[in-house]
Amino acid sequence: MPTIAGPSSSPQKHVVGSRSEIIGGLRSAEVNTSRKRKLRSDSAAEVAATTVLSGNLISTPMKWKSPRRCAVSIPKTSNEEIKEDSNGKLTSPVISAVKNLSVCLDVKSKWNPRDDDQMKAVKEALHVSKAPSTVVCREDEQRRVFEFVKGCMEQKKAGSLYICGCPGTGKSLSMEKVRQQAEDWAKQAGLPCPETVSVNCTSLTKTTDIFSKILGNNESGKKANGSSSPLQQLRSLFSQKQQQSSSKMMLIIADEMDYLITRDRGVLHELFMLTTLPFSRCILIGVANAIDLADRFLPKLKSLNCKPLVVTFRAYSKDQILRILQERLVALPFVAFQSNALEICARKVSAASGDMRKALCVCRSALEILEIEVRGSIDQEPQGPAPEGQVVKMDHMIAALSKTFKSPVVDTIQSLPQHQQIIVCSAAKAFRGSKKDRTIAELNKLYLEICKSSMITPAGITEFTNMCTVLNDQGILKLSHARDDKLKRVSLRVDEADITFALKEIRFFRNCLL
Amino acid sequence: MAATPSSKAKTFQSPNKTPTNMYRKSYLSPSSTSLTPQTPETLTPLRRSSRHVSRKIDLGNDPIDLPGRESIQEINLTPRKRTTDVVAETLTTPKTKKKKKIDVEASFSPISPNRSETITKKKKKKKRVYYNKVEFDETEFEIGDHVYVKRREDANSDEEEEDPEIEDCQICFKSDTNIIMIECDDCLGGFHLNCLKPPLTDVPKGDWICQFCVVHKPPPLQGKKLAKRTMREKLLSGDLWAARIEKLWKQEVVDGGCVYWIRARWYIIPEETVSGRQRHNLKRELYLTNDFADIEMECVLRHCFVKCPMEFSKASNDGDDVFLCEYEYDVHCHSFKRLAQLVDGDSDSDQEWNGGKEKEIDSDDEEESVCADSKSKRGLTGVNTKGRIFGVEKVGTKRIPEHVRCYKKNELEKAKATLLLATRPKSLPCRSKEMEEITAFIKGSILDDQCLGRCMYIHGVPGTGKTISVLSVMKNLKAEVEAGSVSPYCFVEINGLKLASPENIYSVIYEALSGHHVGWKKALLFLNERFAEGKRIGKENEKPCILLIDELDLLVTRNQSVLYNILDWPTKPNSRLVVLGIANTMDLPEKLLPRISSRMGIQRLCFGPYNHMQLQEIISTRLKGINAFEKTAIEFASRKVAAVSGDARRALEICRRAAEVADYRLKNNNKTAKSQLVIMADVEVAIQEMFQAPHIQVMKSVSKLSKIFLTAMVHELYKTGIAETSFDRVATTVSSLCLTHGEAFPGWDILLKIGCDLGECKIVLCEPGEKHRLQKLQLNFPSDDVAFALKDNKDFPWLANYL
Repeated sequence: MPTIAGPSSSPQKHVVGSRSEIIGGLRSAEVNTSRKRKLRSDSAAEVAATTVLSGNLISTPMKWKSPRRCAVSIPKTSNEEIKEDSNGKLTSPVISAVKNLSVCLDVKSKWNPRDDDQMKAVKEALHVSKAPSTVVCREDEQRRVFEFVKGCMEQKKAGSLYICGCPGTGKSLSMEKVRQQAEDWAKQAGLPCPETVSVNCTSLTKTTDIFSKILGNNESGKKANGSSSPLQQLRSLFSQKQQQSSSKMMLIIADEMDYLITRDRGVLHELFMLTTLPFSRCILIGVANAIDLADRFLPKLKSLNCKPLVVTFRAYSKDQILRILQERLVALPFVAFQSNALEICARKVSAASGDMRKALCVCRSALEILEIEVRGSIDQEPQGPAPEGQVVKMDHMIAALSKTFKSPVVDTIQSLPQHQQIIVCSAAKAFRGSKKDRTIAELNKLYLEICKSSMITPAGITEFTNMCTVLNDQGILKLSHARDDKLKRVSLRVDEADITFALKEIRFFRNCLL
Repeated sequence: MAATPSSKAKTFQSPNKTPTNMYRKSYLSPSSTSLTPQTPETLTPLRRSSRHVSRKIDLGNDPIDLPGRESIQEINLTPRKRTTDVVAETLTTPKTKKKKKIDVEASFSPISPNRSETITKKKKKKKRVYYNKVEFDETEFEIGDHVYVKRREDANSDEEEEDPEIEDCQICFKSDTNIIMIECDDCLGGFHLNCLKPPLTDVPKGDWICQFCVVHKPPPLQGKKLAKRTMREKLLSGDLWAARIEKLWKQEVVDGGCVYWIRARWYIIPEETVSGRQRHNLKRELYLTNDFADIEMECVLRHCFVKCPMEFSKASNDGDDVFLCEYEYDVHCHSFKRLAQLVDGDSDSDQEWNGGKEKEIDSDDEEESVCADSKSKRGLTGVNTKGRIFGVEKVGTKRIPEHVRCYKKNELEKAKATLLLATRPKSLPCRSKEMEEITAFIKGSILDDQCLGRCMYIHGVPGTGKTISVLSVMKNLKAEVEAGSVSPYCFVEINGLKLASPENIYSVIYEALSGHHVGWKKALLFLNERFAEGKRIGKENEKPCILLIDELDLLVTRNQSVLYNILDWPTKPNSRLVVLGIANTMDLPEKLLPRISSRMGIQRLCFGPYNHMQLQEIISTRLKGINAFEKTAIEFASRKVAAVSGDARRALEICRRAAEVADYRLKNNNKTAKSQLVIMADVEVAIQEMFQAPHIQVMKSVSKLSKIFLTAMVHELYKTGIAETSFDRVATTVSSLCLTHGEAFPGWDILLKIGCDLGECKIVLCEPGEKHRLQKLQLNFPSDDVAFALKDNKDFPWLANYL
């Protein structure tokens, strides 16, 4: 983590150092890169002009290393302060966040979107693969899972836990943290460190492979006897009393557990049954999206009294998304996003899905919009001074959001070829009032009527079917599967109002739709 | 690779002992097989190993050993090839050899006095004479041959050394050609059968490993052994190169001599690939590259034989210079591609093609005839090989011979050729915005020194240039990689349609990245290690990887785990994977499980259908420089297509068809027409053909009775208003129609048969014929279509009354 934590503290030093550095920067022809950055951090306008000029003189390869260098050389004191600040006010995240940001605004240096290094750092901070050091907003869930694991480890008894939640709510990430926590705790408490098996069930080629994976981790040294299956070996392992010394706990984390559901649910059942065996030492944590996986697929478990505990990861609320975004960005030595831009992003995403991945993607695409804008302005005046306050603002974010969430139906309909528009039009007419679906032949009849009434040569029936398939691909119509083309059922998948709106500009269609 | 050669016997016996042994001729070495007339004179090149000689004899004695296809081809080719044999000597002095090609070209033009005017006009710039086959230094080299090539730097040192043709026995350190030598499958050392302890009498079946390798101890080295390394050893240790001859030509130089050049396509040893030598690489494995170089014949040492795995497993007795090549290695993208199995089949077709295209000169004695009789032919067939792009050439592709070289194409024919869908356009108009976006996306992902995995979904209706845009972006990027402005990356292209099952994509990806084919389960394991856990395949796989998946929607399995895995990798740290998915459906991400669409991100790119302006531009760019179409004709075609589908393929097809129609029309009119252009009427005809459903044509051409039958059905439909009718009633109507208009009623049996026939054509939907008169019938097409088809009928004008 030092690489991330480090830069956050650097601006203070920059500010302190900048005064003296200005002279140095102006004086020396070959400007050190770190100096250059410090120069830029000063907000005085007249200095900004000179820095850009001198910045242009510096050869690019020197730039690459600079953030790292800063990170290594700077003590971490200020970073801790900031963290305390954010942790101290957990109860009111919004206020703390806003305050946090305002603190940052005071402290942090100006951001220059033209600097590749800075841009790269922001993009990296916003990337999905970059795991944050602390998982904020999931402390409660994490604690509950950890308590469970801890309890099991202390009592040396088996247990099972099921974690559910929507995609992008930090389940897998939290599990990873819990695993680390458990290992650390075991070390501190003097217990034998639990063996952990993290399996993503999608990467299994066969569902039953999970047992051999568990077993493989468990007894890598011992030779497996060929006669019995991995499951049987596991069973026998857990049903006999082991000598105390070798009995380590085993922590099994099965991600995307619903991929283990087979027709008879055997694998899933057996997996949970492992925890009920008399000398079982495994702590099973299953992760999946479905909220009622255990109830639906494993009704038997209840009667055996080994029904797993359920921990639900709720979709993120807007405050939580905002906090997470700020947490990621606070590590950077500069401010790239306006606070209200982040807030609108958080609001929109939480209203739509609460998917953190989506929020990160939206932020990144807003950043790219800004990048394009900046590049355009450079093309116009390449030597111009760095514009003041070029951060991602509301309008960038709104553009990115609309790119993501806006339904493209109207645009799509408007860009369709005319004959396809006529088909959409006739479909709108056909489904007006009644929701009953029609066959392609019936739709074709309507289409021919419209064509005839407006003296257009209609396309043939084969062409018509092709066009319907294309419309199906574009998500405007829905075709059901049928052996015969003519018997396929058609239904409309977009709202009639959308069609009317999209086609109202064209007089021809206005008449048709009446 | 399963069929590794059992044990290779190195047979270095003298020719007179050969009949007993197991020489199999290798047909990858045409110099020794297919082309040599079996006359004593051609058997002379004795400087080379005795192996060659013995093989030739073997061929003569035992032609049944040849695969049938090969021998037939040989017979076909022999007469032609024999006349084209060129015997040439190196006249070049050392000084001229050093000359650069460019100098030669520049300095040559003054000295072409004895050429006819037409020749000089054509060959102003080119002084190359292309051959199919050249005898150089008493060895014949031919296109498609594999040769050892000297490395430049140590060229001098090699020249002094004498290349040992025959390997020494590892035990007695003598090279006795009379004793059978056996090769160790591990260290590739040769052993005399009777030097072994205990001595072997016969070559054992299966793998054989020498005692040295069994105890993991290198064999005792002798001083002279190091000096006398065989070429194979030099090649495998990187001191020599192997190459495939793609072209042979002679270039004259200032002082009257000429230098022979070859275009070499290099092979590389596994150590030189990005993944290094891996466990699965055989000792004799090489990779074919897409790297070409023009080198002088001087650098060529002698033949070697590179075979595909199937032949390699058969070639157990071909001596030391046999290598195996299973994969093509792309030196720019650092990816592997499995070669088509029939390397030989198409190398033959290549030869034919080259024969047609490139000039072969008939010259027996170079002193006299080089000038005299070869000139005229050369003039006729001066070939421009500059247009050939070697990068896109694949070993598996078969080229279409251009038959008539002298025939000059007219404008219409040129237009037809450029409008073919297979013709790759030089530029892609109307998609610059999308291409920019793709370029920005890829660059943004791979340019960072730490590549962040990302994913982009490209969708659009068919024929809107999705795949070709991505590919041309990749081509531009490749050029930038070569220029050094972009760091290198791997590029893997997969078409979902070409996968046997969705899961196979794992093994295809892994094979492209590592050059090793494994089952998909294993490949999934390896790929997970690489992308999810950050382990690397090979030594320096720090390069970002770009994965292009065409027809992404075909990877959707029941539980969608394939897509999940592929889209999950980019979200892992250190994956360095960029995924580009292409499909037709706009709402594929929404149709997928939420967890997958969440991982897919929000990068979407839509290729909308072309409008008529864009189609017009596309067609006109393709036809640039060819005056074959009226402007209105192009506009008409593009408007028609844009109104229905906006599919560029369709528009090109219509234009091509229109050109064909126009060609036909002009030929029939015997040039009476004033304009030679494609006019709107031609386009109209083409559109009619393409858009009009085939059922109208079928109905127009059915028999007379069937027409009456159909008319009766339409009449019945009008009368009752019910779509479904019974055979009984139709028959009654038919009989009444016949009666009124004086036609003979054919009888029920025949009428029933007609009904069934129409049912087979699906013009009529009908129940099976057993029901006879109760059979239910229904028109499959709108009655208007039937009426339209039958209206103007010459035979029965009265039919129109009932329609």
